[in-house]
Amino acid sequence: MSKGIIVLAQNNNKTDYVLQASLLAMSLADTNPGTCISLVTNDKVPVEYKKFFDKIIPIPFDDNAEDEDWKVSNRWKLYHASPYERTIVMDTDMLVLQDISSWWSFLEDYELFFTSNVYTYRNELVTSDFYRKCFTSNKLPNLYSGLHYFKKSDTAKEFYKWLELVVNNWELFYGMYAKENYPGRVSIDVSAAIVSKILDCNDTITNSKVKFPSFTHMKPKIQNWEQDSDSWQDCVGTYINKNCEIKIGNHKQNGIFHYTEDSFVTDEIIERYRNKLNV
Amino acid sequence: MKKSKGAILIARNNGRLDYIKQAVFLAKRISHYIQIPVSIITDSKDYLLDKFDSSVFDDIIEIPWTDKNNYNRLFYDGSLSHKTAPFKNDIRDQVYDLSPYDETLLLDTDYIISNDLLKSCFDMNDDIMMFKESYDIAKSRNEKEFKYVSDYSVDFYWATVVFFRKTPENKIYFDLIKHVKENWNHYRRVYQIKSELFRNDFAFSIAIHIMNGFDKGDFVKPLPGKHYYTIDKDILWKIENDKMLFLVEKEKYLGEYLPIKTKGNSIHVMNKFSLERVIDKVANNE
Repeated sequence: MSKGIIVLAQNNNKTDYVLQASLLAMSLADTNPGTCISLVTNDKVPVEYKKFFDKIIPIPFDDNAEDEDWKVSNRWKLYHASPYERTIVMDTDMLVLQDISSWWSFLEDYELFFTSNVYTYRNELVTSDFYRKCFTSNKLPNLYSGLHYFKKSDTAKEFYKWLELVVNNWELFYGMYAKENYPGRVSIDVSAAIVSKILDCNDTITNSKVKFPSFTHMKPKIQNWEQDSDSWQDCVGTYINKNCEIKIGNHKQNGIFHYTEDSFVTDEIIERYRNKLNV
Repeated sequence: MKKSKGAILIARNNGRLDYIKQAVFLAKRISHYIQIPVSIITDSKDYLLDKFDSSVFDDIIEIPWTDKNNYNRLFYDGSLSHKTAPFKNDIRDQVYDLSPYDETLLLDTDYIISNDLLKSCFDMNDDIMMFKESYDIAKSRNEKEFKYVSDYSVDFYWATVVFFRKTPENKIYFDLIKHVKENWNHYRRVYQIKSELFRNDFAFSIAIHIMNGFDKGDFVKPLPGKHYYTIDKDILWKIENDKMLFLVEKEKYLGEYLPIKTKGNSIHVMNKFSLERVIDKVANNE
């Protein structure tokens, strides 16, 4: 059964998501050589990074996010765009820092899997709902779509059909399922949680008892810090060595690192990966 | 071959606090509750022999008196009184080499043993154990200070009580603590510690973090029991066998206290002045 990672990148006037996806693909090539990754994009991919992608796929069914800065309206299409029978979906602003081959074995038992536990840079379970008030106040399942998995199957297809419906009619669905702390704009996490609630399938698409698959979530207000900050990079330093091992404030990072801040992608980090992978 | 085991206390007086007095008091309690020999590392052997019953110690390990590396710090005696005195805390990393025992229980002299829980360390398989979790008996105060060495930094471990066996790995660990101590200004900056004051808790914690590969890990296992403490703004009022009475500072009411009784709990009493007053009271009643 074919398997691989898929990522959606749509540049806007502030952020080069294709570059982020390329960095992700380089990190995957470094730690998981041979694992396929496909990029769904309508933007131009620099020629030196093309070799890291198995396939570069145009966004199917037109671009629903053409007029959006926050381009999430195409996320539901990833099920249809994926060339793999088994797919892990990732956000572009992630790095894969360890061998994740065992995750694929774990995921074999699932048709759809969402991470529901994420971790701080100190490898502590995130317990704060600072960014997830909508989930707690509306009793929505705490799903993170930034890292999820599907197997081409009737179950996953039905889920994604509903996801399309919720994303395209988000105001209606959020009005019904997310009245408290109403998000104000479409969110794939909230939409996936609503679909999970509609289909009553939470028990079969996540597992809060396992530590992996998961990711390190670098949003600043969930790091168990007393001092308030709008940017985690103002609080702790990033160190990357020649082997592309990353430390955040003395803490070696493993697994999947979700850096969340665009300015994390510096020339130094890109150069480290380029040097290691002979780009 | 049977392994030797015992407790080690460090006592270096600083002109304000009598750590020898505290050590003698604690040695008696260790003998009573844990029934292991106790040795003392001190720079004031003559004072110990002259003023106290030194037979409570299995061995007296003398170290030279020095005022090198001494920092002054504030020692509170309740919330309204404090004194400045030298903080002679720079030989804890040498305990690995100085201890005469294969299996050592290292204790601060202000850790008041009131049960036999630590006796079980010697029967456990873990070669090094410390407290990481801790409980302020006042309950109402922010305990975050003792969760991380600083807000953004690594997990905090207490160097107050350390059980260790002499193993090559533990030798590396203690050498690493020494290295951190010798390069304290570098490490405190790297680990985002604002204070220049060297603290063993910090050095032990940083070294654990490094031994764990700069991640959370299990190089150090938890000691049996819970680590209870009171800060130096509280007052120890009475000790009677395994019972203690504390006056705990009231939150937001400077100079006012609440009484708290404990029974059967070993407690880290940071107000050493009040501890010494209570030791004198106990001695007078003996």
